[in-house]
Amino acid sequence: MAKKRSAFLMIWVILAVICLFMFLKYASPKVFQMLMAKSHPMPTPSTLMMWYMIMGVLAGLVYATTSNQKFADFLSFLLPSRGPIIKSLLQKLLFVSFPVLVGWFVYSWSIPGAASPVELRIQHPTLPQEFEKLENPFREKDADTQRKSIEEGKILFQTYCRPCHGSKADGNGPFANSFRLRPINFQDPGTIATVVDNYLFWRIKEGAPGLPSESTPWDSAMPSWKDDLKDDEIWMIIMGEYDTAGVMPRQREKLE
Amino acid sequence: MIKACKKVLVGFGLIGICTIVFGTASDVFAQASHLFRTYKREVPPKLPETPDAVAEGKKIYEKRCWYCHGIEGKGDGPAAKTMFPKPRNFTRNEYKVRSTAFSSVPTDEDLFRIITSGIEGTAMPFWYTISEKERWQVLYYIKTFNDQFRKNDAIKTVSVGSVASTPESVARGQELFKEMRCFECHGEDGRGNGPLTVALQSEWNLPYRARDLTKGWLFKGGNTIEDIYRTVSTGFNETPMGSYLEKLADEDRWHVAHYVKSIAKDMVSDVVIKARLVEDDQLPIDASDDDWGKATPVEIPLAGQIIATPRLWTPSIDAINVRAMYNKDEIMFLLEWDDATNKQEEVFRDGVSVQFPTKIPESLKKPYFAMGDSSGAVNLWSWKAYWHEGFGAIVEAPETESGEVSELNAKSFKNVTTQPPESQNVSGKGIYQNGRWKVVLKRSLKTDDVKGDIQFETGKLIPVALAAWDGSNSDTGALKSVSAWYYVLLEKPVPKTIFAYVLVAIIMGASVELWFIARLRRFPPKLEENE
Ligand code: HEC
Ligand code: HEC
Ligand code: HEC
Repeated sequence: MAKKRSAFLMIWVILAVICLFMFLKYASPKVFQMLMAKSHPMPTPSTLMMWYMIMGVLAGLVYATTSNQKFADFLSFLLPSRGPIIKSLLQKLLFVSFPVLVGWFVYSWSIPGAASPVELRIQHPTLPQEFEKLENPFREKDADTQRKSIEEGKILFQTYCRPCHGSKADGNGPFANSFRLRPINFQDPGTIATVVDNYLFWRIKEGAPGLPSESTPWDSAMPSWKDDLKDDEIWMIIMGEYDTAGVMPRQREKLE
Repeated sequence: MIKACKKVLVGFGLIGICTIVFGTASDVFAQASHLFRTYKREVPPKLPETPDAVAEGKKIYEKRCWYCHGIEGKGDGPAAKTMFPKPRNFTRNEYKVRSTAFSSVPTDEDLFRIITSGIEGTAMPFWYTISEKERWQVLYYIKTFNDQFRKNDAIKTVSVGSVASTPESVARGQELFKEMRCFECHGEDGRGNGPLTVALQSEWNLPYRARDLTKGWLFKGGNTIEDIYRTVSTGFNETPMGSYLEKLADEDRWHVAHYVKSIAKDMVSDVVIKARLVEDDQLPIDASDDDWGKATPVEIPLAGQIIATPRLWTPSIDAINVRAMYNKDEIMFLLEWDDATNKQEEVFRDGVSVQFPTKIPESLKKPYFAMGDSSGAVNLWSWKAYWHEGFGAIVEAPETESGEVSELNAKSFKNVTTQPPESQNVSGKGIYQNGRWKVVLKRSLKTDDVKGDIQFETGKLIPVALAAWDGSNSDTGALKSVSAWYYVLLEKPVPKTIFAYVLVAIIMGASVELWFIARLRRFPPKLEENE
């Protein structure tokens, strides 16, 4: 009686896993393209793909073991068949494809493939000591001076920083696509909004060469501006940069 | 027993989820080919053009647009000096992307679309980041700079009919491309190297570069077939790109557009350049060798060098196509890039250079990507186009000359040394064909100069970076286009032993399966039900 209810349970589970694979491989790049308004399909990264597949298989197994009855049904597919001819065909197919699949896995894992490079980095290392004490000369000034410094700073920002960081400070300048470590998007609340003015002063003055090695200075295109911009100009750029991005620097803890 | 099974499964599930979260968090490096912007054609219903809307628009303009387009709309904002092309002068009718006849002003919808989409490869950003209302308001304001808008002659002229893309249509388009002399500007292969463009640029010093039609990602007015059809029909005001509305029948404009679409390619990029192993004993230095067809090409985007002074704000080379192959002794690279001219002067010469660290890094640490640093030197293979004194100031490098190849070391932009003659081991040749340089550089995998030269090994990710010079853009020295670090991988041949492993795996898989089924059939699951 149990057999009658779902003698093909195993096949359904396998079909569901295959559907998942098809979805990840062919449908989801298109779906993401539409969701994220990109002009190119967005393929699922291979490591993610592997994990989704493992999850899918596990989910199938969890489902098949939700009751003893189900589990018995699930396994019953492998028993000698007295059922329709399609069942014995599917059985044979399954018996052949399992070892083939195992062989294929071993093959694809052991061919010398392109290991993709690991490139992890820390975006915000600690501020070097000599920059800790500095004060932005414009931040505490009267409204008029502040406004002037922001205007001046914006022009400097547009002239020197725009090709990389973009004229909206969104990291989308015309050169941004060429640097694999992308110029920072200052509108992102996780970037300059989480640090103090001095931190930016350090980054602008010393650029990539000033970074410690946990921040992979060798990949960063951020120039060091110390030979080209005066200190005042850098402070003005910082004023203009925060204003363009529409964020505020982190407030310094007042130790009074 | 089933319960225990389930617990284990849930445990595995949790581990899986954690890994997924960490897996995505580490994808910090973006893939260039997915990032280019597109021309967005949808337009929402219009906002009424009232004096209030114009006044609001002025505020937006004076916050967001003036520093490029100028406070009076003359395209002379204070930030414009590092830009090419220059920002649009709104007091003249220089509008490029329009659906209206040549020398008419664009429609409001045209302006809305271009402001929303921005212009790829130029300073003009996309503005879908501000609200639709704000976009209408600011465009009503920029219309006030030019009286022509008030005369109300912005009438859409492009028809909507279309002709399907068939091989015949593309072939007809190719004929028309010749008949209508498009090649005089765009070049025979569409690389933007036609003689007329070159004359405009280098003889009259006019700021017009005909579009490289093979780079589909750089079309200003969009690269869909409808967009190209519109561009061919209406032209770009105040540029050499004219309107073909009258010169070509509607159907023919579709044919040309289909042809242009067929040569416009997407950028196919990758982080790893895979060097192909070839069996041949000799690697001929020949860009047209058939074997190159089998090596996977990778298009690497370049930016102007603005990291150290002197800076190149307006580069003309924006991508290099790279392939690599190797045999048991030697490795060879093919570097191809589009360049409208082959004009060499003493200082301003076309060139390319390939940069490696002096040794394969053992950890994450690499030398600085722009010419190395004090703790890590780089090895440079440089090629410069042929030039000879006594030939006059400007020469065209002939195909018979291979150009000048040299090997250098650098620790910074200023600390560059040419290796002594006895350690010059790179050979190569560059030829210029139809608007494209093809340069082959070759070296043995290992050399004696282990301090100054990279020693290649198979199966390792070896950092590589590129730079290129366009003499007619006055590129020289640090004025060049540069790339970030990429990697080259000398692919290992598939070892024969792998098939033994696979066979063992299949046999093992089959025996586990047989054992499982045999057991299952001996103790059918019904027994378990009775437990
Ligand atoms: C050649 C491209 C380029 C130019 C020009 C450039 N930057 Fe950067 N910048 C980068 C890149 C790439 C990063 C990310 C890597 C890093 O942190 O070093 C970065 C990072 C930064 C950061 C660190 C942000 C953070 O949250 O850690 C600041 C601040 C910054 N840039 C400011 C500027 C300013 C101000 C200018 C103009 C004076 C400028 N940059 C010009 C490429 C550039
Ligand atoms: C960072 C500089 C910059 C900023 C900021 C900027 N533009 Fe532009 N804009 C340009 C450049 C450069 C061009 C010319 C591109 C070309 O010729 O290919 C341009 C072109 C245009 C065009 C002409 C398009 C065509 O079809 O010819 C319009 C309209 C325009 N901008 C509107 C705006 C508006 C509105 C704003 C503010 C919301 C703005 N721009 C902000 C740089 C800028
Ligand atoms: C007199 C020179 C000249 C001729 C002839 C010419 N073009 Fe152009 N074309 C240009 C220039 C210059 C540009 C780039 C304008 C710019 O970017 O401001 C251009 C741009 C284009 C673009 C790119 C538009 C975009 O969205 O960026 C297409 C497509 C194009 N031309 C097609 C054609 C076709 C097809 C013909 C022949 C029927 C043709 N052109 C004839 C000079 C010319």
